[in-house]
Order: sequence, then structure tokens, then C-alpha cells
Amino acid sequence: MKRIKKTAILFWIFLQAGTFTFAGGLAMLPLIQKGVVDKYKLMDEETFSEQVALSQTLPGMIALNCAIFVGKTCGGVLGAIVTGVAVVLPAFLAMLAAVSLLNILPKDNPRVIGAFRGIRAASAALILAVGIKLSKKSIKSLFTLGIALIAIALIIFVKISVFPVVIAAGVAGIVYFIFYEKKQIKENIK
Amino acid sequence: MTELIKLFYTFFKIGIVGFGGGYAMVSMIMTECGKNFGLTMDKFADLLAVDLIIPGPIGANAATYVGFITSGFWGALVATISISLPSYLVVLTTMYFMDKFKSSTLLNGFFRGVKPASVGLICAAAIIMGKEVLINQNMKWVDIFSNPIGTISIIPLIIFIGCVVCEVRFKVNPILLTVLAGIIGAVFVF
Repeated sequence: MKRIKKTAILFWIFLQAGTFTFAGGLAMLPLIQKGVVDKYKLMDEETFSEQVALSQTLPGMIALNCAIFVGKTCGGVLGAIVTGVAVVLPAFLAMLAAVSLLNILPKDNPRVIGAFRGIRAASAALILAVGIKLSKKSIKSLFTLGIALIAIALIIFVKISVFPVVIAAGVAGIVYFIFYEKKQIKENIK
Repeated sequence: MTELIKLFYTFFKIGIVGFGGGYAMVSMIMTECGKNFGLTMDKFADLLAVDLIIPGPIGANAATYVGFITSGFWGALVATISISLPSYLVVLTTMYFMDKFKSSTLLNGFFRGVKPASVGLICAAAIIMGKEVLINQNMKWVDIFSNPIGTISIIPLIIFIGCVVCEVRFKVNPILLTVLAGIIGAVFVF
């Protein structure tokens, strides 16, 4: 009985997080923390922070990764399935509704066309803004700047698929890490 | 049926290399689905507009959208599940090898290279979208040098710059910016 209740609480917390956050998963994290750590005390803050940090490092949607971490910690594999479904479900349903609405919109009305052109300009700007914000965090050396610029060039000019770009960047990171670390250790010995 | 398998394959791959969260994944969806599903820039711009306004992790929203416009409800379901599955594999494996994970030179190096690459992907997506939105139809970006005023659409440019500044410098809520941009577009039909 207790397990069922815990799973239900997890479902409820993540359903709320999935429903009431807009424009990206990062905004969900405080809401999840409030439910899981502060209100229902399902896990301690330290574990939660560690899992949040890992959620951002690992591939995939940050909110979903966080949901799986927390779900597994608090309720085992069943918990992870419940939290994952709860966090994605609102996005799925909302998008289905939105696509249906989009089809009803009078697409040849000049006002509607104008509004969409305005929104497109804003969306392009918001993506660039995310890029700028992230670059402040993760571009700190000539090496990281080089990787970012090469990635941009490969995608825009060579029109290469993103998968080899990401994998190649990771391999370059490993090579750099090994050589750089070795140099550091040698310098320390001197 | 083949469409569904293609959807599964593409979104599963995006889930695996989706480092950097929702915005990086949306950038990948944009470059990959243009090639594989003929997702036009117009359709993608609609996706972004809706994505920012409706609830949920934007990666899940985007998968639902592309799945729906390619193969209806089942396409939406397949795309959403296949972009989410890799998170389960990755997170559960990470939890299993937690201690080794933290001290691994290979993984640390890999992440070091991948992070700036995902910034590059996001910026590339912003540039591709920006080119589409800011440059008048029937013009190419090289025309900027010969005929700058005829090539660039002025109102989208103002919205674009305004949004980047508001978002990066003053941290204005992105939903508010999206709605305002829509209103400006509808009022000054351009």
C-alpha cells in the first residue's frame, strides 16, 4: 500500500512539472525539487542536486533524465517508468491539441501570416539566445571555441548530419583531455 | 509502416546523441528531419512557435509534432517514445555504474568535447532559421552586399534583435516575447 501511495505521489509531482513548465525542461527543476525534496521528503537535497547535474550532462531531455533518476531512486524501475510517462504525457497531449488547432487557423489571412512571421523571428532569436547563454558556460578555451565553430561550419556549409559531428567532438574531447592532462602532470612534476 | 520505422530510427538516434538538452535536440530535429522527412522550414518555424507556448519539455513537443505531421497519431506516439527511450538506457546504466562513471577519464573527456559541439549545433540552427526569417523571399544572403535594404526584412530584424537583447541581457520571459512578437507581426503586417 505504501509503495502504491509513493508511486502515485511521484506521478502527481512529475505530471505537474510537465504541465506547468513552458519553453524547456530546465524550468521544471525547481518545481520537482519542491515536490520531491521539500514537500514529500522522498530523497535528500544532496542526491537530488547530483542527479540534476548528471541529467544535464547526459544526452536526452533534461526533465526526462531527471524524472528517471528520481523515479528510480524513490520507486525502483516502476517509479522510473511512472515519472517518465508523467513528465512527457502533457507535452504529447498539448502538442496534439496544438497541431489540430494550427490546421483550423485561416492560413491565408494576412494578420495570421503576419503574426506567424513575427513569432518566427522571435523563435530564431530565442534559439540564438540559448546558444549565447550556453556558450558562456561551456566555451572557456581555444579548444572549446574551435569545436563549436567547426560544428557550426560543418552543419551550415558541409550540411553534414549531426550524429558524426557530436561523436567526433566527443572523440576530440577525449584526445584533448588525455594529452592536456598528461602535460599538466608533467609540469607538476617539474 | 516504413515511415514509422524511419521515425523510430531517426528519433532514437537523436535521443542518444541529444547532449545539451531540449534546444540542442530541437536543433538536431531541424537539420535531420529536413533531410529525412522533408520537414520544410515553414513547418519547422510553426513547430518552434507552438513549442515555446505550450507546456512540456520542448524535445518531447518537437518529436510529437514531427511524428504527427509525417504519420498522424501513431507517428506522434512512435516519435515521442523513441526520443525518450535512450534516456532510460543511459540514465539507468549511469546509476548502475555511478562510481566508475564519475572517475572515468574517457567519459569526462567525451563530455568536454560534446558540450561546445552542442552549443555549435544550437547556433547553427539559429543561423539557418534566422536566414530564413530575416532575408526576403527570392533573395539570397549574398545579396546583402549589393542591396542591403531590399534583402533584409526590417520588422523581423527589429523583433529578432529585440528578442535576443531582452532574453540574454534582461532575462525577459520567452513566452511573453513570443506573444509580443506575434502581436507586432499581426499589427504591422509585413
